[in-house]
Amino acid sequence: MRPLSSGNLWKIIGISAILSTLLLVAGFGFAVKDMLYPKGESFEGRANEPALPAGGKLSEGKGIAITAIGDSLTKGTGDASGEGYVKQLVELMKQKYPDTSVRLNNNLAVNGLKTNRLAQLLETDKGYSFALKQANIIVFTIGGNDLFKIASGTSRGKTVGELNLDKLKAELPQGLNRLARIVKRLHAINPNAQVVYVGLYNPFYDIPEYRSGSLQIQQWNDRAYALLHQYPNMTMVPTFDLFENAIGRYLSSDHFHPNHDGYAQIAVRISQSME
Amino acid sequence: MKALDRLLPLIQNETLKIWKKKRFFVIVLVLLILIPIFTYAQFRINETNKKNFKDWRNQLVQQISEYQNILSSDRIPEEWKRSRRIAVQQLQYYLDHDVNPNSPDGVTFTRSFLSNAVTLFFPLLVLALASDLVSGESTAGTIKMLLTRPVRRWKILLSKLLALSLYVSLIIVVSAVLCYLISGAVFGYTGWDMPVFTGFVIKGSSVESSFVHAIPQWLYLLMEAGLIWVSAMSVALLSLMVSVLVRSTAASIVTMMAAVISGTLLSNMTSSWHSAKFIFSVNLRLTDYLEGSPPPITGMTLGFSLIILACWGIASLAVSFFVFTKQDILN
Repeated sequence: MRPLSSGNLWKIIGISAILSTLLLVAGFGFAVKDMLYPKGESFEGRANEPALPAGGKLSEGKGIAITAIGDSLTKGTGDASGEGYVKQLVELMKQKYPDTSVRLNNNLAVNGLKTNRLAQLLETDKGYSFALKQANIIVFTIGGNDLFKIASGTSRGKTVGELNLDKLKAELPQGLNRLARIVKRLHAINPNAQVVYVGLYNPFYDIPEYRSGSLQIQQWNDRAYALLHQYPNMTMVPTFDLFENAIGRYLSSDHFHPNHDGYAQIAVRISQSME
Repeated sequence: MKALDRLLPLIQNETLKIWKKKRFFVIVLVLLILIPIFTYAQFRINETNKKNFKDWRNQLVQQISEYQNILSSDRIPEEWKRSRRIAVQQLQYYLDHDVNPNSPDGVTFTRSFLSNAVTLFFPLLVLALASDLVSGESTAGTIKMLLTRPVRRWKILLSKLLALSLYVSLIIVVSAVLCYLISGAVFGYTGWDMPVFTGFVIKGSSVESSFVHAIPQWLYLLMEAGLIWVSAMSVALLSLMVSVLVRSTAASIVTMMAAVISGTLLSNMTSSWHSAKFIFSVNLRLTDYLEGSPPPITGMTLGFSLIILACWGIASLAVSFFVFTKQDILN
C-alpha cells in the first residue's frame, strides 16, 4: 500500500471527522429535544401468550416445567444451601421421571409476601401469568406472613415471629378470603397444571403459651383445603406434623423457617402427591 | 474568510501531528482488544440465561422477583433500594409492553457498551490524546518553535482545540462502529428497529411513566452517542486546560485521571452531599438520563448536567486561552 501524502491523509481524517461530528451533534440534538420536550405515546407490544401445556399424567407429557410462587418458604429462606423445597423438588421429580425433562421454569417467591399482594400480582402482572401458563406443576405457599406478624428480611438469631393469638384469630377470615381469590385466579390462568399448596405449620409449637396457635393454623389449613378441593387439579400437602415433636430437627435457627432438612421433607411430600 | 484560510493549515498541521504520534492507533488497538473480551463475557452470560430460562420473559420476571427480594430485606441501605425500586418499575414496564430490554444482538450490545463506557473509558481515551497536546510541546521543547512563528498564539491553541475535537468525534464513532462489527459477528447484526423505552421520569423512588415512549434502537444509539460526545468534549476542554497549566505530560494525565476517577467514585456515594452535583465529573453520565436510571444525586436533570458541563467547559477554555496567550516561555 502506497503511503498517503499528508494532504490526502488530512482530507480523509478531516472529512470523516467532520461527518462524525455532524452525526453526533444531530444525535445530541435529538436527545435534548426528546428529553426536554417529552411526549408520552402509548406503545402496544405484540401480546405473546404461551400455549398451555396439556394436562394429564406428567410422565406422558413432553416435559415437566415447575413454576413456584409465594413467600419466603418458597424462596427457601432458612435453608443454608439456598435450595429450599423448590430445587429439591426439581431433583426428586427428575428421579421420579427419569425419561422426562424436568426443569424449574421460574421461582418468583418474594420474602414477606402476603395474600393481598399475591392476589394483586396474579390479577395484574403479565410476567406472573406468563410464567404460570408455561408450567404443568405450580407450587405455592402463602398466608404465613398474614398470620404471623413477621419482620421481613430475617437475620439469623433474631426473633422474627411474634404471635398474638387473638390477632391470629381475627386475621383468619380475611386471609382466607384473599386465598380464595388467589386460588380462583390460579385456576383462571392455568386450569391444566397440577397445583400444590403447601399447608401452614405453627413454628412456635415448642413454646407452651403459643402452642394453641396450632388450632388456628389447622383451621386455616382446613379451609384452604376446602378452597382447593373445588378444582380436581389442585391439592394441598400438610406440613404441620413435621414441626411438632421434630421441630428442633426441621426448623432453622431463625425459629420460623424450615432448615434444609425441613424443606427436604416438604419436597418429598409434594413429589409424592404428583402423578 | 481570510482568517479561516489562515487557520485551516494550522488545524491540518495539528491534526497530522496527533496522527503521527500514533495515539489514535493505540486507541483503536485498545478497542480491538477490549471489545472482543466484553463480547465473550456477554456471550457467556447469554449462554447461561439460555440454559436456565426458556424465554426472555421468564428471565425478566425472575430478575424482577430477585430485586423485590432485595427490597424486602431490612439490611439493604435505603439508597440501594431506591435504585432497585426504580429498576423494578422500568423492567415491569418492558414486561408489560412485551419488549425485551436485553435482546442479544449487535446493536443492543453496542448500546450497553457505550453507556457503560461514558464515565471512565471514553474520558480515558480522550485523555490519551489531549493530555500532551500543549504540555507535550513544552516537554519536547518545540513550544518555542511553535510560538515564534508569525501566527497569533490564540490561533495556535484554537487549532489544537479543533484538531482535538475532530479526534473526539472520531473516537466515539469508531468505537461504536467497531463494537457493532465485532459483537455483531457473535450476536448477529440485527436490532436496529427494536423499540427502546425512554422518557421515564423519576420522582423520589417511583417512576412516572406518562412520558414514556418507544423509539427505535438506531435513534436511541444516535442520541446516546451524541450525549457521550458532549460528555467527552467537556473532558477534552478540561484536559486541554490542564495541559496548558501543567508542563509535564505525566502530571497532566495524572491530574485529569484523578479528577475523572474521583467523580465516578463520588457519584456512587454522594447521596447525602448535595453540593457534589456541581463537580464536573459527577455529571458525565449523561446517558443515564436517556435510560431513565436514577441520577447520582437527587434533583439532577439533563438540563442541570448540561449547564454544569458547559460552565466547566467555558471556564476552562477561558483559562486555557488566557494563560496560553500571556505566559512567558522561559526555559
